[in-house]
Amino acid sequence: MEADWRRIDIDAFDPESGRLTAADLVPPYPTIVTLQELQPRMNQLRSLATSGDSTGAVQLLTTDPPYSADAATKEQYFVSVLEALTQVRQADIGNMVKTLNDAQKDILVKYLYKGMSVPQGQKQGGILLAWLEKITQVSGVTPIVHYISDRRTV
Amino acid sequence: MSQSLRPYLTAVRYSLEAALTLSNFSSQEVERHNRPEVEVPNTSAELLLQPMHISRNENEQVLIEPSVNSVRMSLMVKQADEIEQILVHKFTRFLEQRAEAFYILRRVPIPGYSISFLITNKHTESMKTGKLVDFIIEFMEEVDKEISEIKLFLNARARFVAEAYLDEFVY
Repeated sequence: MEADWRRIDIDAFDPESGRLTAADLVPPYPTIVTLQELQPRMNQLRSLATSGDSTGAVQLLTTDPPYSADAATKEQYFVSVLEALTQVRQADIGNMVKTLNDAQKDILVKYLYKGMSVPQGQKQGGILLAWLEKITQVSGVTPIVHYISDRRTV
Repeated sequence: MSQSLRPYLTAVRYSLEAALTLSNFSSQEVERHNRPEVEVPNTSAELLLQPMHISRNENEQVLIEPSVNSVRMSLMVKQADEIEQILVHKFTRFLEQRAEAFYILRRVPIPGYSISFLITNKHTESMKTGKLVDFIIEFMEEVDKEISEIKLFLNARARFVAEAYLDEFVY
């Protein structure tokens, strides 16, 4: 241990060093959403998607996403989101995107990029890409820029 | 262009356009250094932005990792069988050995991907950003065509060689 004392990174022990880790950048949330609290929402999403009311499902999933939940909960919630997104017929995507406001589009883009980064979403890559294409046709590069700089993840 | 390729390339184009807003940024760790923040082991997470995965299916994916002064873009080329794996490896290696001629090409790809590009603020200052994006999109279009063409040539040559060789044994 003593042999390596010159290589010790002393700044890492200094709380005033101003270094930030990824955990420091996550904004503080007043409440933490748990899986039990999300369960009714997931059931509602699933029933909307299977009953054919995909407009309602997309409106539901693009409002008030569970930013404060932990990674495992987000993973579970995302499965039902992906189910709802893939239920929408290819021809309806364009009209559905037009009904969303800018904040909802930002949230939807987060789900799309998340979907394409996990294996079960990559299998549905064509549908997710169709969503993304329609969003960029309506509002261009704006939602993607918002996605890049937003530290709140879905 | 096929129906599913167009949304893929559109997504890559818009994502790159969003990511390619780079500025000159000196290192916060080392004095008088200016290095691509996406490449160095980073102690300041605020310099890295959200990475973007774009995937057409499991075998064709793009990963774009933006940061304040550099963007790393990795491409997974479609590899359907073992011959294509060898061909993609040889082809990308050929390009990577000549990386200085391509300016934005990275000499080693990110693990799991076939080829990587690294665009820094130096590149966006000396070249047109739109043309850089066009180059990458064109590369993605061409590389699939190139690999399938090489595969066809390979099969044709193998057939010709086999015929020429086995003719010896026909009496």
